[in-house]
Amino acid sequence: MSDTRQIFTLKQVVSSIRKTLEERYQQAYWVKAEMHKLNRFPSGHAFPELVQKEDDRIVAQIGATIWSQNLQRIQKQFAEVVKEPLKEGTTLLMNVKIVFHETYGLSLQVVDIDPSYSLGELQKERQETLKKLQAEGILNKNQFLDFPLLPKRVAVISADQSKGLSDFMQVLDQNTRGYRFFTMLFPAYLQGDMAVASIQEQLRKIERVKKHFDVVVIVRGGGGEVGMSCYNNFSLCKAIATFPLPILTGIGHSTNMTVAEMVAFRNAITPTELADFLLEAFDAFAVPVLNAQDQISSGARQLLETMGLHFTNETRLFRNAVKRCSEANKNQLHKISDAYRSNAQGMVRRHRQLMNFSNKELTRAARMVIEQRKDVVNHLPGFLKQHSSTSLLNALNHINQKESLVRLMDPANVLRRGYSITTVNGHTVNAATKIEEGTIIKTQSFDLEIESTVNKKKIYGK
Amino acid sequence: MENEMTYTAAFDELQQIVSDMEDGEITVDDLAVKVKRAAELIKICKQKLTSTEEDVNAILKELEG
Repeated sequence: MSDTRQIFTLKQVVSSIRKTLEERYQQAYWVKAEMHKLNRFPSGHAFPELVQKEDDRIVAQIGATIWSQNLQRIQKQFAEVVKEPLKEGTTLLMNVKIVFHETYGLSLQVVDIDPSYSLGELQKERQETLKKLQAEGILNKNQFLDFPLLPKRVAVISADQSKGLSDFMQVLDQNTRGYRFFTMLFPAYLQGDMAVASIQEQLRKIERVKKHFDVVVIVRGGGGEVGMSCYNNFSLCKAIATFPLPILTGIGHSTNMTVAEMVAFRNAITPTELADFLLEAFDAFAVPVLNAQDQISSGARQLLETMGLHFTNETRLFRNAVKRCSEANKNQLHKISDAYRSNAQGMVRRHRQLMNFSNKELTRAARMVIEQRKDVVNHLPGFLKQHSSTSLLNALNHINQKESLVRLMDPANVLRRGYSITTVNGHTVNAATKIEEGTIIKTQSFDLEIESTVNKKKIYGK
Repeated sequence: MENEMTYTAAFDELQQIVSDMEDGEITVDDLAVKVKRAAELIKICKQKLTSTEEDVNAILKELEG
């Protein structure tokens, strides 16, 4: 039985596949895929795995090739535009040719990578981070903290031995004003993939000892302008925005400010500028203190001078016032004393005149009285002789009349004429005398006294 | 923070004395007292500028603990 089957060699088959594929896929295509692993070989060529994920599950996967020459060109261009190294695990827009090799099989040959697509992706991440921070209301949280009057205790997040750190420390240490800072280094990666976790780890440490620090600075410098996209990472930016101490950044970045720099309390372009900012804060404290010294001593001197002047003026005013016052009083006193003097003289004069007048009058009156009395005395002996006998006779008659009247009124004479006197208990009877039946009464006549008892009483007129 | 309170307070008090003096609110009677107090405050403030009190080792110990 003759063999009618057509038998191919393996080479024929793979050549056929290659030919078919080459005919079918003649041009290069733009493909969006995640570069899972770069797989760069010592030869300089890279054989990355390209994948597509849906819900974290790989739904497509294929090996790719980037020849050394292409890779160098692509990396250079990428770093220039994106300011980031070509990074594994990111989605890239690649220009690929579908190639099939007889021994190596199917792969995608990457001839170019579009950096602007990646830049767009990074910008998107930056925008996303900003939007999320805004939504959480923490975008300006660090900036609302009170800045310490003296930011003298500084926690430094930087890479050990980096140029940025030494620039920063040099400005602080060699300041000519003699300011002393306390700094403590918290070493971290400041760019690339490791930076996010590394910086956050150091922030957590600082937070545990935050009472020893006034501010935190993140200082970077000396590295290239690549690997900065970590500063747009949401979780790092959130850690900075919500940190309890003011965070100052000096990460030496000139284009397109990162979100971390935007949310930090303050951003300085370079570590040197950042150190200057701290020195300025010290100046803001020191200058008023030094000025206070001058202001207080000159103020005190001025106050004393003013008071001295014031005192001199007051003294002069007082002296003048006293002088004026005493002069005014002196004048008044003179006036008063003049007035008194003239009044007194007038009065003395008047009184003297009056006295003279009275003197004369008295003499005259006395003389007159004496003359009159002399007259009376001269006439008295005749007058007495003429009147004395008649008046003595009249007086004698008058006395005789009074004597006979008294004699008539004597009770003994009355009783002799037949009247009697009734007494009760030695008292004469009148309206007030109580006389009842049985009362003993005494009746006295001229020559007889009778004692009787009342038998009956009758009151007249009642 | 306790440390900061001290120099903040010293600074504020000093500024107050200066402004009182400028506003003429200090009389000759309390001038001597105020000037003496200002001198003390200036000394405190200057000391704060030129000295540090923190100790790295103590902070490290606190981080380990």
